Amino acid sequence: PTEPFALIICINPRLMRHLFVVIDCSRSMEDQDLKPNRLTSTLKLMEAFIDGYFDQNPISQVGIITTKNKRAEKLTDLAGNPKKHIAMLKKAVDTVCVGEPSLYNSLKLAIQTLKHMPGHTSREILIILSSLTTCDPANIYEMTKTLKSLNVRVSIIGLSAEVRVCTVLTRETGGSYHVILDESHFKELLMLHVKPPPTSSSSECSLIRMGFPQHTIGSLADQDAKPAFSMSHLDSSSGPSLGGYFCPQCHSNYTELPVECKVCGLTLVSAPHLARSFHHLFPLDAFIESPVEEHQRNGYDFCQACQGELKDKSIFTCPSCRSVFCVECDLFIHDSLHCCPSCIHSQTAS
Amino acid sequence: MKLNIEGLLVYFPYDYIYPEQYSYMLELKRTLDAKGHGVLEMPSGTGKTISLLSLIVAYQRVSSAFPLDVTKLIYCSRTVPEIEKVVEELRKLMEFYAKETGERNNFLALALSSRKNLCIHPEVSSLRFGKEVDGKCHSLTASYIRAQRHVNPNQPVCRFYEEFDAVGRQVPLPAGIYNLDDLKDFGRRKGWCPYYLARYAILHANIVVYSYHYLLDPKIADLVSKELAKKSVVVFDEAHNIDNVCIDSMSVNITRRTLDRCQNNVDTLQNTIQKIKETDAAKLREEYRRLVEGLKEANVARETDIYLSNPVLPDEILKEAVPGTIRTAEHFVGFLRRFLEYLKSRLRVHHVVQESAPQFLKDIFDKVCIDRKPLRFCAERLQSLLRTLEIADIADFSAVTLISNFATLVSTYSQGFTIIIEPFEDRTPTIANPVLHFSCMDPSIAIKPVFQRFQSVIITSGTLSPLDIYPRILDFRPVTMASFTMTLNTFNVCLCLVALSSKFETREDFAVIRNYGNLLLEMSAVVPDGIVAFFTSYVYMENIVASWYEQGILENIQRNKLIFIETQDAAETSMALEKYQEACENGRGAILLSVARGKVSEGIDFVHHFGRAVIMFGVPYVYTQSRILKARLEYLRDQFQIRENDFLTFDAMRHAAQCVGRAIRGKTDYGLMIFADKRYARADKRGKLPRWIQEHINDGSLNLTVDETVQLSKHFLRQMAQPFRQEDQLGLSLLTLEQLESEEMLQKITQIAHQT
Repeated sequence: PTEPFALIICINPRLMRHLFVVIDCSRSMEDQDLKPNRLTSTLKLMEAFIDGYFDQNPISQVGIITTKNKRAEKLTDLAGNPKKHIAMLKKAVDTVCVGEPSLYNSLKLAIQTLKHMPGHTSREILIILSSLTTCDPANIYEMTKTLKSLNVRVSIIGLSAEVRVCTVLTRETGGSYHVILDESHFKELLMLHVKPPPTSSSSECSLIRMGFPQHTIGSLADQDAKPAFSMSHLDSSSGPSLGGYFCPQCHSNYTELPVECKVCGLTLVSAPHLARSFHHLFPLDAFIESPVEEHQRNGYDFCQACQGELKDKSIFTCPSCRSVFCVECDLFIHDSLHCCPSCIHSQTAS
Repeated sequence: MKLNIEGLLVYFPYDYIYPEQYSYMLELKRTLDAKGHGVLEMPSGTGKTISLLSLIVAYQRVSSAFPLDVTKLIYCSRTVPEIEKVVEELRKLMEFYAKETGERNNFLALALSSRKNLCIHPEVSSLRFGKEVDGKCHSLTASYIRAQRHVNPNQPVCRFYEEFDAVGRQVPLPAGIYNLDDLKDFGRRKGWCPYYLARYAILHANIVVYSYHYLLDPKIADLVSKELAKKSVVVFDEAHNIDNVCIDSMSVNITRRTLDRCQNNVDTLQNTIQKIKETDAAKLREEYRRLVEGLKEANVARETDIYLSNPVLPDEILKEAVPGTIRTAEHFVGFLRRFLEYLKSRLRVHHVVQESAPQFLKDIFDKVCIDRKPLRFCAERLQSLLRTLEIADIADFSAVTLISNFATLVSTYSQGFTIIIEPFEDRTPTIANPVLHFSCMDPSIAIKPVFQRFQSVIITSGTLSPLDIYPRILDFRPVTMASFTMTLNTFNVCLCLVALSSKFETREDFAVIRNYGNLLLEMSAVVPDGIVAFFTSYVYMENIVASWYEQGILENIQRNKLIFIETQDAAETSMALEKYQEACENGRGAILLSVARGKVSEGIDFVHHFGRAVIMFGVPYVYTQSRILKARLEYLRDQFQIRENDFLTFDAMRHAAQCVGRAIRGKTDYGLMIFADKRYARADKRGKLPRWIQEHINDGSLNLTVDETVQLSKHFLRQMAQPFRQEDQLGLSLLTLEQLESEEMLQKITQIAHQT
């Protein structure tokens, strides 16, 4: 078996995101214009969002804050484990919605954590605001200045109508502000935030060490196997296990990746995680659309990817390898694969 | 862009133009060509001002080539901020001219305002009230004060005025655009008084921007505007209330306090005369000689068309000499005393008296033997006396000036005025507070000289419907009357007519008040930021708010938004307004409860988030029990064949339109307009709303319940919150030059103007 190893990787904020989602739990969340009500609908969509977020940004972290009754409290801390968040979201369905939200308190709570995040990671806040008002203990425009100086980007999704303070807040911090039309539009808007936002020029890049532990399956028959407690599940009462991911630096055991080693602080990831994060940095060029007739004359009748016959009106050509694809494959390549299969094929062949 | 409007090259300082602006300029040009007057209605926020300025400036530039001549534009607006806005637009236009033609044009445009806004004298300008500033200024700059300085060098004078008087008149103000601050800066640099500089400069300026009163109020117009060139275009912007401005400028209210102050004035006059007689009797003799010769000079000037005529100084009396009975100073003071005593006796009434001017004159002749003729010269005679007596502080003599103006008016006009003496106010019948209302009922009297003198007068506003009523009540014949609509790619106005009633008989009803409360409560939960609610009167608002408080509705509303209330106190109201805007700004959300016809409904714009919804509770009819109003209605019926009901509805609807129009101040702005009264749905009311509002009324927005309104609003607000891009507007409601010149668009544009 190969030794687990560590590498030094150049990281920029689009690779490593820190996002706080603020969920409004005020009285107005009981409104039934989203079925069955705004809160339930929001929480359900949030679950999908969390999944999507970690799928696209595997080495990023998320935290959830709720605000009601003029206060803000943390539902979950910044963490990279989707399961924990989703479990908490499921629990939150029974929350009683009372009082007014407080943008100021929520933002304050969020930046208490975010300001300690290193500069090569992004600091983002996404607010889902149902109420039309906010009850703030101090001037929110002062807070806007603080957010701006800390490079925190605030985006808002409004559930009812355009509120002035949100417009200003998002404009000043460089975030986006949208108001939903209905539930499907809500989902669409929420999923926009799955992708990392475009980086500002001021963002720094830096080199950090990352560990790439390999998964080992230990068996009792193996004499070298040493049973160990999973560091990430120390609190839960699961017993020691033989296999898992071992930190290349300190050999702590983890059952899941990605994770930050609790002992030595090394970020542990696997290669595919990194690859999926990287595609935001180097997006695949759009394929060139052209009418199908031209190419049929040249003898291309089949899609490079699915090998199906080109029946649609237009076809798509990869600008680098000149391969031809059908509409479905073009969508699949750009939305999920993030790399041209034909290009990779030719690389490996040569 | 450069436009070709029926052969006239118009420079328009923007890259895009709204189709209605083009149409507006077209109509305006036709009016100017015909040298006639026009009434043009175009919704606010569609760039009325820049269209007006672009066209008229273009017209002035080529006027040398054209046979018809326009030498000057007189732009009248209501408030100082509006005046400043006009000047800024003009500046933009002139910069564009300079850029396009590459030459500095010798165009002079300036704003004029009161001394209070223009004074740079360190002591005088620090005074808080306009009247104090005027008085103080007068005491430093009056001619005899300055004459005294030659004798007594310690006499304080205003150095800025002295400097201006010495050299300012020889050198014309360099060409350019001057707003109030620019004038002040220029004045400081040169050490000249900006106020007098501006007053002098308007005579040769190409464009003058000032307030209505400089043209309509006879007392001010006589000082400021009487020498303005005949070949001018006069524009009254935001002119939907012009008839009331005219009426107010000609009406006089006399209370017991006025009479007391007047008594003091007369005593002062008497003493001064006595003193002067001992020291300088020649001066009084000189005045006497002047008065014998009559007001000939003024007459000559008016005949040769140099002066704008003054309704307080009718033409006939200019030809005559001042009658002998009031020619000497003592006699005149005696005459004033008698007149004053008579007025005092008239105020000692216990019941309401209403009489016409001839009746009043007959009565005064019978009781104290005052003839009509000397009364007519009263105002002029007093001015002469005040000049002769060298009284520095004119402001103190406002009471006696008022009385003498009254005397002149009442003896000059046998028609169009009425005298009402009320022993007490209607609301407090136990407290004696006698008032003599000398009320003008015919707005055409004050504005007549303007129409007669100037070549073209344009009356324009966002709400002038129905258009034909203005020419009738102002008594002039327009060559163009047109109403323009707003072309929009989306509906940025959502109009709801809610079926609730506030008829006078039912408006105290418990259920009605609760329904109103519910409407406001529901709206406060769905509308973001600011809501402005208008009531029909202060009393009604107080009643409603009190019962809402009892019913607990107020408390519920306060959970959603803060509540601010307009009161009759100006300082309190501006404080409330400030806090309201702050609450809208920082996301707290607020409701402003105010009154139609109040300060808020007239002068204050609620752009964007400051007014996302306007709710009009009830129909804002005037208080119909007022005797002045009754007299006016009667007059309108007899003189202009306007039925009482038509006028009342017209008046109510223009105020309603004015109120709801506060929220939409441009094409990117959006808002809800809610008329909470069943009566708005009736054809006679709906028909009197401006066309740009009427177009948004469809069957889906009539007779809604509160729930339907809430649903409609929610949907509308979500639609409106979607990102708005300029590209969407292009070609539809926003045109480039090519698009404008396309055949199809020109066809469409002809339909925008709705001629009547």
